[in-house]
Amino acid sequence: MTAEKQAVTITADTHPFLNGLWKQNPVFVMVLGMCPTLAITNSVRNAISMGLATTFVMVVSYGMISAIRKLIPKQVRIASFIAIIACGVTVVDFLVKAISIPVYQALGAYIPLIVSNCLTLERAEAYAGKQPVIKSMLDGLGMGLGFALALTCLGMVREVLGAGTFLGYPVLGSHFEPWVLFLLPPGGFISLAMWLLFFAWRKERAAKLAAAEATQ
Amino acid sequence: MSSPIIPGPAHAPSAANSIRMVRLLGAVSLMCGLLIVATNILTKDRIQSNQETITRESVQELLPGIKKQVTYGLEPSGELKVLTGATGEGKKFFAGYDGTGKLVGVVIEASERGYADVISALYSYSPATQTIIGFKVIDMRETPGLGDRIKSDIPFLANFKGLDAKVENGKEVHNITTVKHGTKKNAWEIDAISGATISSRAVGRMLQKSVQDVTPVILKNLDRIERGN
Repeated sequence: MTAEKQAVTITADTHPFLNGLWKQNPVFVMVLGMCPTLAITNSVRNAISMGLATTFVMVVSYGMISAIRKLIPKQVRIASFIAIIACGVTVVDFLVKAISIPVYQALGAYIPLIVSNCLTLERAEAYAGKQPVIKSMLDGLGMGLGFALALTCLGMVREVLGAGTFLGYPVLGSHFEPWVLFLLPPGGFISLAMWLLFFAWRKERAAKLAAAEATQ
Repeated sequence: MSSPIIPGPAHAPSAANSIRMVRLLGAVSLMCGLLIVATNILTKDRIQSNQETITRESVQELLPGIKKQVTYGLEPSGELKVLTGATGEGKKFFAGYDGTGKLVGVVIEASERGYADVISALYSYSPATQTIIGFKVIDMRETPGLGDRIKSDIPFLANFKGLDAKVENGKEVHNITTVKHGTKKNAWEIDAISGATISSRAVGRMLQKSVQDVTPVILKNLDRIERGN
């Protein structure tokens, strides 16, 4: 556990954007934001929509948080962060409705959920509250896209196995009997477990290779 | 910051500190509030015209081939009133006419509490046959992947092609009811989606209530609606 924590806290040498996208992927590495990860990944379209809406809110609100970070006393930082994130979410809600109603209809149910995603608050606390504006916004962009990527990975497994379709297009033919289980909550846990297992296996293999190299 | 008045843990706030916190939180809330109000003012007209377009397009989709639409408002007294816009408060329905000015059908707005929040929908109704001929969900917050299939599930939507909605003496002959998936027998029954029973039932209740409320008024004023005034 301590070794893992250490690996996660090394950020200085990585670009803030790539860091969130891959190295510290919010879902597969930090295991954050599990509620939307499990709840809305039952289709690829939902997963991508949620990922992009979250990214937008993170970029905008981290810019604001970072800009006023030196004014916020640390006792009330969480309250201020939540107010700013909630404000960002409401603004996004209005903007999406004004830009295009069909996009709003696809996304509408997920936008308010962004406030309750612990990932948005965690990065505000761990990064945007301490770092300059541009770096914070890059971190928001990387983390948001990393989140979108992870959600899409889960959504892909669940939609293909649970409905036999990909983005709504049938891919497995009419002989395939969909495993409805994968669209239901247990399917979310099972798919997440499979992805985490894959990442853990990769990490272990990398560690073994490194150890083998060191002994030679 | 001067030294704290009361010695204690590093986080214990002094009086001066508390005022600073309150001021800061006040400022943050004010700033967020102003931003939200500004966005609302800037986007309000745009959102309304978008909704108007969507409603018009949905009516067109539910009554293919119509060339003209007339919006009627239903007053609480039971009177009809021709409205200019397609959005706004109150019960409304839209009459659609073909190229020769003949009434094709009526699209009625309805809403009902679903699993997560209110489901609002439009359905098309043919006064000539007294049946529902189409159904479209406009807004909902149903569970993605389960309840939200009421919007897209093709076998479910097939329920609304010729759903019996006959009224006699201002009362429905058969109440529209939702039945368990695979047990639909009669023309006034809706075959539920398996795994989305609550949302399917909400749709059934919505149509039952709306047919009961609105269609007697339509049938009573049918001459007037056919003339389009």
